[in-house]
Amino acid sequence: MADMANVHAYPRKQFFLEMFTRDISLEDCVLDLIDNSMDSLLRSRNIDIEAQVLGAAQGGQTRAAIAPAQIIVKYSESQFDISDNCGGISKKEAEDEVFCFGHSSKVPTGRLGVYGIGMKRAIFKIGNTIEVTSRTTESSFTVSIDVLKWSQKDTSLEDWTFPITKVEAGVPLSKAGTSITIKDLRPEVKVRMNDGTLDAALSNAIGHTYPAFLDSLVKVKINKVDVDRSDLPFGGSGDIKPGIDKFEEDGVKVTLLATLAPMDKRTQEIAGWYVLCNGRVVVLHDKSDLTGWGIGLPAFHSKYRGFVGVALFTSANPMLLPWNTSKRGLNREAVIYQKARNRMAGVSRPVITFLNEMYPSDLPERHVEREIASRVVQQDFRPLISAQSKTFEVIRPVSKKKTMRAQFDVDIADIERIRKKLRRPGMSASSIGRYTLDHYLKTECPE
Amino acid sequence: MTPPTESFYKVPYDLRPAKQIERRMLIDAFQRLSFAGFPIGEYQYTGMGSIYFVDFILFHKLLGIDKLLSVEISSKITKRLRFNKPFQRVDIQICPIGDVIPQLSRDRRHILWLDYDGLICSEFLRDLVLAGTYLSAGSILLVTVDVEPPEGNSPKEWRDYYAAEASAYLGKESKVEDFVKTSLVARNTGFIKRAIMQGLVGREAEFIPMFNFIYADGHNMLTIGGMIGTQQERRQLKASSLNDTSYFRSNLEIPPYAISVPRLTRKERLYLDGFMPCNEKWKPKEFELPPESVLAYREIYRFFPAYAELLL
Repeated sequence: MADMANVHAYPRKQFFLEMFTRDISLEDCVLDLIDNSMDSLLRSRNIDIEAQVLGAAQGGQTRAAIAPAQIIVKYSESQFDISDNCGGISKKEAEDEVFCFGHSSKVPTGRLGVYGIGMKRAIFKIGNTIEVTSRTTESSFTVSIDVLKWSQKDTSLEDWTFPITKVEAGVPLSKAGTSITIKDLRPEVKVRMNDGTLDAALSNAIGHTYPAFLDSLVKVKINKVDVDRSDLPFGGSGDIKPGIDKFEEDGVKVTLLATLAPMDKRTQEIAGWYVLCNGRVVVLHDKSDLTGWGIGLPAFHSKYRGFVGVALFTSANPMLLPWNTSKRGLNREAVIYQKARNRMAGVSRPVITFLNEMYPSDLPERHVEREIASRVVQQDFRPLISAQSKTFEVIRPVSKKKTMRAQFDVDIADIERIRKKLRRPGMSASSIGRYTLDHYLKTECPE
Repeated sequence: MTPPTESFYKVPYDLRPAKQIERRMLIDAFQRLSFAGFPIGEYQYTGMGSIYFVDFILFHKLLGIDKLLSVEISSKITKRLRFNKPFQRVDIQICPIGDVIPQLSRDRRHILWLDYDGLICSEFLRDLVLAGTYLSAGSILLVTVDVEPPEGNSPKEWRDYYAAEASAYLGKESKVEDFVKTSLVARNTGFIKRAIMQGLVGREAEFIPMFNFIYADGHNMLTIGGMIGTQQERRQLKASSLNDTSYFRSNLEIPPYAISVPRLTRKERLYLDGFMPCNEKWKPKEFELPPESVLAYREIYRFFPAYAELLL
């Protein structure tokens, strides 16, 4: 038998530095770093996503009753910082897991961090000199990375380490947290930081991505300015009961909600489906076939601008969730998602029918539906997550006719006499009819 | 598209012989399913009863189905629909059928007949996706559509119609030559099958074909039917006597079962009945009848309704 040899299939550092940082925007990087902070928070405070973030708890357990933690993002032309008091990463986790490219264990320990690439991809994208310090109640450590130096040494797997440069004692839980400082920023990142739009873009991305976490669990500041939470435009009223469909399969809980948008937020832009994985918004107001429009639902049309759907996927193992690696999109081939998408169409059907009735093609717009829709106000969707599945319902008022038409012929001369008396020569005949009736009611029929 | 209810102005539902034969064959099949252990009497029947409720009457009387739901889209004749309701047991809902499908109880088995009068369109296909998504295992899904060529005179125009209405379900057949008149039944069968399969994504159950009828009481119509079922239902079906019938279609690749109704007088029918079921070569001695008509009659005589004037 001939000598059998192996071919090399080593990872190359350049690949990680140059390739996989290309597929992600600077905003996504910051979101990835925030995901890490959130995961520390969930872990250190023992917070259950379903019970305390999404508020599905039964039996009196409420959303996290703790003072919100803080995540502070600061940047200038020379430096990027993100720091939190979310509980930190233990030295053991740092040594074995956090800095690896990809998770080694089968079940990730976090709920928002999935693939074990987010933090590395983010820091490599931002700059070349990186310092990560993390303090837990047990210990503290600092890892320093000089990316250029690190990338030059790439001959064996032994070169794939980062040095721990400092080890200290633990701190109280309120001070435990992680801070990352990045210097020697990449040129393209400097350009973004200087173009004057990044603050707003980051704030907008964070506000829309974490409505379930912001304020109740954590506050985020960007260059000293608080990020505003952007609640999902989920509507309800006394006349409107949102549709709910729930199922659980292969370790993933799926909750689908369909309703009308609140009146004051109703625009074509905000309409559509919102998809959340473990409480993090991954798809925002989608109106494409990704969420079933044109497949299980009709193609999106301006008359559906009142539609809002929320699809929640939760799992203890975030690998099972249908998000993609940037967590700002879906893996539409995921079987759980394909199944959910069909049921998203089902739970939406009665809402779509209602909106069709509101804007019928062959008739003037319907007043009953318009009135009902106008009373829809913003509502927190979270209490509905623990409710039973049910169909979207509209309670239409029993219409009782309260008016009738009074129409009759009169002598033109009589109309003229009244016009003259009232000194209003241009008054219409119908206004005179109204006026004389009101006059009689007032003078002869006191209430 | 014609909304389902409105076709009742065009067609007297109860006097369409081929359609009635189809109903009778379905009942025959459901009775066989009953013997094979499917509790048909406990199924819910959901259909589009119009103002005649023909299938509701038959299914209630002959199959003992007690839970009946008729869905109609037109709110213009609400009172008339309710007035014509044949039994108290029939519930009527006025809304698009697609709104009802997600609400069909998953704790119950269903017979759902999407008995459309029109050509297949995107809305029907969405209903089929919903049916595949929501019908419980053991349920039976029937779909009837018009398979006449759409508006226009050429396969190109017909292809364009279907490309617009069924774009997601065209499959490999998207060329003009795939839409010649004689291919339209096969194309429609493909759309229906694919839409149901889209709804079944991620479910353990699959669509197990049972029926593939074509007939014409005027327009050419196609009915595809089958069970939403798992391996267990597949085994149960395989063991049933449905396999002995000529109308059963366990796969949709073989040609559909064509219900053809020979024109016969009442006297001729009585005579023929006396020799049924006849052998292949039998010919009536008393009058001329082409052999294909004899064979067609042999196929349907058990299911063929007799119409007579009734002075009430």
